Amino acid sequence: MRIRNETDFWSGVMFLVFGLGFAGFAQEFDMGTPQRMGPAYFPTVLGGLLALIGAVVALKALAGRTTEGKMEPFHLGPIAWVLGAVIAFAVLLRPAGLVVSMVVLIAVSSLGSHEFRARDTALLAVGLCLLVLAVFIYGLGLTIPVLPVFLRP
Amino acid sequence: MELLSNLALGFSTALSLDNLFYAFAGVLIGTLIGVLPGIGPIATLAMLLPITYTLEPTSALIMLAGIYYGAQYGGSTTAILVNLPGESSSVVTCLDGYQMARRGRAGAALGVAAIGSFVAGTFATLLVAAFASPLIELAFKFGPAEYFSLMVLGLIGAVVLASGSLLKAIGMILLGLLLGMVGTDVNSGVARFTFDIPELSDGIGFVAVAMGVFGFAEIIANIEKRGTREVFTSKVGSLLPSWKEAKQAAPAVARGTLLGSVLGILPGGGALLAAFAAYTVEKKVAGANADPPFGQGNVRGVAGPESANNAGAQTSFIPMLTLGIPPNAVMALMIGAMTIHNIQPGPQVMANNPALFWGLIASMWVGNLMLVILNLPLIGLWIQLLKVPYRLLYPAILVFCCIGVYSINNNTFDVYMTVGFAALGYLFYKLRCEPAPLLLGFILGPMMEEHLRRAMLLSRGDPTVFFTRPLSLTLLLMAVALLVIVALPAIRNTRKVAFKEAD
Repeated sequence: MRIRNETDFWSGVMFLVFGLGFAGFAQEFDMGTPQRMGPAYFPTVLGGLLALIGAVVALKALAGRTTEGKMEPFHLGPIAWVLGAVIAFAVLLRPAGLVVSMVVLIAVSSLGSHEFRARDTALLAVGLCLLVLAVFIYGLGLTIPVLPVFLRP
Repeated sequence: MELLSNLALGFSTALSLDNLFYAFAGVLIGTLIGVLPGIGPIATLAMLLPITYTLEPTSALIMLAGIYYGAQYGGSTTAILVNLPGESSSVVTCLDGYQMARRGRAGAALGVAAIGSFVAGTFATLLVAAFASPLIELAFKFGPAEYFSLMVLGLIGAVVLASGSLLKAIGMILLGLLLGMVGTDVNSGVARFTFDIPELSDGIGFVAVAMGVFGFAEIIANIEKRGTREVFTSKVGSLLPSWKEAKQAAPAVARGTLLGSVLGILPGGGALLAAFAAYTVEKKVAGANADPPFGQGNVRGVAGPESANNAGAQTSFIPMLTLGIPPNAVMALMIGAMTIHNIQPGPQVMANNPALFWGLIASMWVGNLMLVILNLPLIGLWIQLLKVPYRLLYPAILVFCCIGVYSINNNTFDVYMTVGFAALGYLFYKLRCEPAPLLLGFILGPMMEEHLRRAMLLSRGDPTVFFTRPLSLTLLLMAVALLVIVALPAIRNTRKVAFKEAD
């Protein structure tokens, strides 16, 4: 048995896992009856259907007639830099304030690009900080801490 | 004439100085973001949603609608000039629009797209205004069974439209419905799938899903690609089409408008379906001796789909405004926006909030007019924007996204959720699972469960209620018909070809 269509096969596996997961976790609630459906009813039905579809998609990917399909490789670089930068932003926002966390977000996420240039990124950070402060803080009046904790009045 | 007085109310709302400004700002910012390659209307709307939080609901919705048209139109500009569709519905515009640009007719293609969109927008706005009241009458006849069947029809429609495997699209819908189940169950008060995380008891924030799966995941995918872009900046030329082009384009605009208006109303329909269908029709009408052939820069291949996608974008507001049911992912976002402003979408909006309802409709036309006024003179600016390298654009986009997600609840938890959905969205991208049906399912999930429960309660557990009530049966039969049509070999092949062109 050989996986002829990799993207389809792993999609099927993903659906299967999600379907079984939702249906499984739903079992801790009350099923109810068709007339009075409990909180577990609809998720169980949907989860079961999703698992079924997942199984069919995965099995079809093994069948002989299926068109070949290779997975594109995962590039961990861009996703790690971008999501890492966003997480850093969220962690820093409350204690360090908007300005610091924005600079970190811009600097770290820029490293994900293969054409990173430090000077441009620095200029971008300054420009964006001014724009965001003008539009969101002073213009729209969003309540986001701007300065680090120790500098706040 | 009730319609006229309603429209008068609408225009008096839409033409107030404040709302004119918000419509203008929406169209401008929407175009600005929509022009950027790789960012479609869904991501644009999700990103710009926070700007509207502090506005009053009418202005907020008018601005969001403006952003939507702007993003839609910006996508076409990118398609013509760079051959990169900003969103799926401008994929067909790439085919002939980019070829026109290569032959030095970029200006004419942009002009035809703008004029065609305006004509279509005007017609579709009238249609929305005319259809709204009777459809709302109909909506009041809807019981839970009808609502449930309508949502089934809408979801099937979304499946049909998704590119690639039908089964995978169904899987994505089911996954979306299930994600919508997370949070407190309204009937029993039980917290489902929250894993004792208090922030999850209100459910997963739809902005986190939309922004993660559409915004962030697209950014990551774009950084990976190391392509070079070929931008036609020097020879855009006159924006006015030649006489020959105008003569060819005019009937195509008319056909596209009609087709788009009809397809936009259908659940699951909207801009994407409209554009594809219009392109196919134009190709058929022109026949084999089209000059120049389709795919080599025929102006009809731009005029038809561009008119159709704008008309479809407009009329897809009809089910959203009258029934409170989103026909596509963009409208799902609009519903999310309404809920943030504490407006429960549905037939009661027109009665309770006539200024908002008619103001929004009138602002559609105002927005379309602004698009033409704005885009033709500002085309040079958009071209400049296309020259900005992506490495500078995406950190800026990330900043706006992060601030936007945070400011919904002033809570960093939503930012972490977005990161999670970005990773999931990246996985979908690699597995070639189209995410639009997921978002639609996510919004519809809680509504569907609610109506299913009510219908079953009223029928005392008898599931045949969905087939014995005539309206409900009709809707379900339409859903079956849609599935059968897609499964027919002839359509299946065209669909394959259509989506192949999309790649």
